[in-house]
Amino acid sequence: MTPRELIEKALKEGRTWLYEDEAKLLCSLYGIPVAKSKVAKSKEEAIKIAKEIGFPIVMKIVSPDVLHKSDVGGVKVNVKNEDELLKAYDEIMSNVKTRKPNARIVGILIQEMVPQATEVIIGGIRDPQFGPAVMFGLGGIFVEIFRDVSFRIVPVSVEDALEMISEIKGYEILKGYRGTTPADLDALADAIVKTSKMLLENEEIDQLDLNPVFVFEKGIKVIDARVILKK
Amino acid sequence: MSQEEYNIKSNINYLFFPKSVAVIGASRSPGKIGHEILRNIIEYGYEGKVYPVNPKADEILGLKCYKSVLEIPDPVDLAVISIPAKYVPAALEECGKKGVKAAAIISSGFKEIGNVELENKIVEIARKYGIRFIGPNIFGVFSAPSKLNATFGPTKVLPGKIAFITQSGALGIALMGWTIFAGIGLSAVVSLGNKADVDEADLLEYFVYDEHTKVVLIYMEGLNNGRRFMEAATKCSLKKPVIVIKAGRSERGARAVASHTGSLAGSDVFYDVAFKQCGVLRALNVEEAFDWARAFTELPEPKGDNVVIITNGGGIGVMATDACSDYGLNLMELPEDLMNEFRKCMPPFGSPKNPVDLTGQAAYDEYTKALEVALSDDRIHSIILLFCQTAVVDPPKLSEVIADVVKKYGRCKPIVACYIGGEECQKGMKILEQNGIPSYPTPERAVSALAAVYRWVKWKKKMLKKLEVK
Repeated sequence: MTPRELIEKALKEGRTWLYEDEAKLLCSLYGIPVAKSKVAKSKEEAIKIAKEIGFPIVMKIVSPDVLHKSDVGGVKVNVKNEDELLKAYDEIMSNVKTRKPNARIVGILIQEMVPQATEVIIGGIRDPQFGPAVMFGLGGIFVEIFRDVSFRIVPVSVEDALEMISEIKGYEILKGYRGTTPADLDALADAIVKTSKMLLENEEIDQLDLNPVFVFEKGIKVIDARVILKK
Repeated sequence: MSQEEYNIKSNINYLFFPKSVAVIGASRSPGKIGHEILRNIIEYGYEGKVYPVNPKADEILGLKCYKSVLEIPDPVDLAVISIPAKYVPAALEECGKKGVKAAAIISSGFKEIGNVELENKIVEIARKYGIRFIGPNIFGVFSAPSKLNATFGPTKVLPGKIAFITQSGALGIALMGWTIFAGIGLSAVVSLGNKADVDEADLLEYFVYDEHTKVVLIYMEGLNNGRRFMEAATKCSLKKPVIVIKAGRSERGARAVASHTGSLAGSDVFYDVAFKQCGVLRALNVEEAFDWARAFTELPEPKGDNVVIITNGGGIGVMATDACSDYGLNLMELPEDLMNEFRKCMPPFGSPKNPVDLTGQAAYDEYTKALEVALSDDRIHSIILLFCQTAVVDPPKLSEVIADVVKKYGRCKPIVACYIGGEECQKGMKILEQNGIPSYPTPERAVSALAAVYRWVKWKKKMLKKLEVK
């Protein structure tokens, strides 16, 4: 599938955003590493995928009517075995039915459980004046409370991306402090450059969040992705 | 053809260098805009031909008046149009037939009051005849080298090297007046108003090649085409600094916020980032903008990061040190040999460390010697000269002495100055200004201006490297 086909499929289905698995596929098409995942349409399929990926796993609801998955109790993490998977499957289904009774359900996303690492956010947005821009920030409270983020109008080069990373106040945390290991800034910069390319080549993308992105000592991984299309 | 060539060939230069000007809507009544513009043109000493156009008058301010621009026997380069909005299309049509190259459409009553159709109509007419125009809804255009003051602003604008572009009319006129008061010279003033044709990007592409302009200062409220502005501003910034005051910082764009990123991006964020990317120096206010512009018109580019402060007072030295840290300037750690040199310029209780404190005893000799050390040593790249008024020094005389030393060394490095004190200090700073040493009433403003120079030079270096890589 090409990025174009992905986006057109969503628009054809009347969605102004991509499912998580589609958003992640879009990232992989641009060479941005993502957490392994696949959508299961039944419990049997869920067990099969989980075995392929390997326990523990994360489970998330996939529905055209649910953009914010945790808000409806549609996410379970650290699911360790088949029994837990079956239980979690039912819980997610009943949570979504209770909190969003009319939601159409496509399935449940089974995703590898990625070891904890430094969380960052890579964003994309389109300004009516300046066109597409990318954003970078440290995850969690750094973004939520301190709004500690940097922006660039795209296209950005690797140097620009590295500059964006170094501009935020939390840069010291990424570089490693008090004996913590430094994060892979080159891999991060590479992902920012690729996000910039994605925004430039796909006019239909209005906003996007790769949030969180885990940054390891070596490499990065997109854990969750949200892509909003132009109406 | 490049955009620049297009602009020059496409008549934008006639806004600034017309051989003849017609004032359409010239009026006999003082106080009327059509009268004041004509009077300003005449009084400022425009040397080209001036033709008042008014069907009801035979003569205005001693000049023969024409019923229509078509009646003027000679060619007309620039038309200044100040008539009610509804008559503008017909007048512009006549200008087109006459072969007028450029126009300043002063008249109001277009897009700014919702009259989009009328505005589109004049754009259409201008395009048809290849007329480039500024406005509508403006106060005019000023061009120092051609002694053209076609504005209804103040008359006696000082000639200089700053091109001032303003989207706001009232503020623009007020600032023109203020520059006279502050002794700041301008190469051009352009009122942009509704920007139906010529906009900031067009003018940047023009001023980058204008030998009379060293720095461009823009008061901006919003852009019509951000991407095009970025391209033009990048090109200009590589040769000349562009300073922008962008009003509306607090405004947040009405944006459908469906993503985290969306919630973190107010509309001003993009202006801020765009400016940074294309080398535009964003000033927070008018004072800062002109402070920087003055520095840019006079100072050479620094050859390195090492800044030295020379002062006669500890307090002002510390304040300047703090400001250097705030603005990211690098106060040089002085090596032993340089400290020894500076020691020779001060009493034993002075401090040869940076800031170099000559003490309150310091007079002309001490300043001269210290300045000579700083100017002659290649390891020092920029100088901040501070002076607190004392009884042992006459500030104007100190300025003369300083100006002589600086002249002797041929303006080899940037120097900014700050005098703190009474009226005599004002006089002293004025003398420094006349000798090409930008001076400020507080150390923070002096440091901020020098820091702007460094920011621009650093951006330029980075951008040139980036272009080389490509």
